[in-house]
Amino acid sequence: MTVTTRREFLAGAAALGFASAWPFRASAAGSLTAAIYPGTWEEAYRGVLAPALKKSADIDVAFDSLFAVDQVAKVRAARGVPPFDCFVLDPGPAASAMQAGLFEPIDASKLTNAAKVPAGLITSHAVTCNAQVVGIAYNPKKFATPPKSWADLFKSPYVERLGLTGFQTTFGTVSIIEMAKVFGGSETNVEPVFAELKKAVEKAAAVAAPAAMPGLFQQGQIDVMYTNTNTVAILKGRGVSIEFVKPETGAITFQTTLHIVKGADNVANAYKYMDMAISAEVQGALQKQPYNMIPINKDVKLVETLDIKSVDELTKMVTHDWTKINPQRAAWIERFNKEITK
Amino acid sequence: MAGAAVAGGTEGKVDWRLAAPLGLTYLAFFAAPFAILLGISFYADAEQTRLGLDSWTKFYGDAFYLKVIVDTLKLGVFAVTATTLLAYPLALLFRAVGPRAQRVLIFIILMPLLTSVVIRTFAWIVILAREGVVNQTLLALGVTAAPLNLLQTELGLVIALTQIEMPLMLLPLLTVMNQMDQNLVDASRALGASKWRTFFRVILPLTLPGWIAGATLVFASATTAFISQSVIGGARLVYLPALIWQQSMVVYNWPFAAVASLTLLFTVLAGIMALGWLGRFARTG
Repeated sequence: MTVTTRREFLAGAAALGFASAWPFRASAAGSLTAAIYPGTWEEAYRGVLAPALKKSADIDVAFDSLFAVDQVAKVRAARGVPPFDCFVLDPGPAASAMQAGLFEPIDASKLTNAAKVPAGLITSHAVTCNAQVVGIAYNPKKFATPPKSWADLFKSPYVERLGLTGFQTTFGTVSIIEMAKVFGGSETNVEPVFAELKKAVEKAAAVAAPAAMPGLFQQGQIDVMYTNTNTVAILKGRGVSIEFVKPETGAITFQTTLHIVKGADNVANAYKYMDMAISAEVQGALQKQPYNMIPINKDVKLVETLDIKSVDELTKMVTHDWTKINPQRAAWIERFNKEITK
Repeated sequence: MAGAAVAGGTEGKVDWRLAAPLGLTYLAFFAAPFAILLGISFYADAEQTRLGLDSWTKFYGDAFYLKVIVDTLKLGVFAVTATTLLAYPLALLFRAVGPRAQRVLIFIILMPLLTSVVIRTFAWIVILAREGVVNQTLLALGVTAAPLNLLQTELGLVIALTQIEMPLMLLPLLTVMNQMDQNLVDASRALGASKWRTFFRVILPLTLPGWIAGATLVFASATTAFISQSVIGGARLVYLPALIWQQSMVVYNWPFAAVASLTLLFTVLAGIMALGWLGRFARTG
């Protein structure tokens, strides 16, 4: 029989006490944990939103740096014990998370800035915090004339300098859908573009992971890509020769949304966090260099460094229904893997 | 006290309580997740509502996924080959030079380990890109008329992995090489064996345990190098780690991702076992 000595008992008790005091996550009053995209988003929210929230409501934000798909996967895997209080998601992962029941409903009356946001941007389970605009980016030093349409990307001289990326990201998926439309496809039928992609891939400068695209552009490996205005502005800010082009069929827009995670510990603070995120103060600061985020607050006057002139332009852009796209996305990814790989 | 009595009193008997913390840790953080992974792989659908072998049959019944396994294994073999070809001359040089030069060499060998693998990978983009160091040099020397496509190719990936994984091959090799008895090398040479013959008949067999340790580390590391594979290899080269990420994080097909994960685990294990078998064969053969 094992006899526990007084010393062992005290050591064990101390270890238990230490473990319970360990800050696994911020759950005290005046704090919350928010998921955030790594990179510019993290810099922006850490640098602008967190200090503003601390100043106005004395709330500390702990950021969990994750891509949208990783956030959804993490919360799904946590099975009811959410690792953070607030999501930030693009429409595809947001639709998946909605379907999986990972959101708390949103009570817009708890958001003091709700009226400053255009109608439809706050829904039953989502608060839009930013609009993204996707189109074509090219290096003006390499081409006398810019590419005009999605179809141009498949023609010389652009195709030889093109960087291709698949359906793993929101911007990649919506761009390929728009290419498919040009070749006779639709939002749910990307069949026509696969034949074109197969031909293009033999000539293209790179077929790369989405995260690698800005680096490849910066290094001159590619001179044409499909991306969002945010990436273009960041590269331009770093002295890269790059311009954004709205394709003839229109630029694409989608919204980035904030959501309260189902079963979150700090719901009241999550509302204050979201309210601060959509405030004119924060939105006005986030549109400037180096963040370049397109604001959604009507009180914010747009700066010239953005690739749009007014928030109203967003209403004329191309949008997509992710509830239709999501069920097909897995098959598209598999097809892209099989047909585009070597 | 009881543990000491057992250990001291009865030779060959192990006090399992000494191994219990590590054993329990393995059980909780490896065996249990592994069992869960195995369990998930036997769901037939992404929603995990129905049991069945569908994910297994889909994975192993599709030539594309079999090719992904082969490509992943091939990448490991290429990385081991390339690091071996470069590590042996360097290890021999290390043995031949004085202590001061050895210190410089060991610093050069260890330096990459002190930098994050992410930084090393992105540095390779700068080196291999169209307007990168290699292409600029080749163009300036007139070796090529147009920039070579080094990024997004298997060759580029193997070049980068060779540098990234090199310390893993060199460190065990240097340790074994340093313990090798110089008299054996001298005797071989004195008896008339050429330098090559001495290398293949004396140095290589004596340093094989070090090479096997290095090759195991390089193989396991190269086949699972998700960042280097996706950033330098690009989307045209699909390896198991990227496939697992895609299936679990983008498509949310966890049963299929579980099958791919188990396949990767067994692929790496098979490689390691083959190297272990080679080691035993070398000792007895």
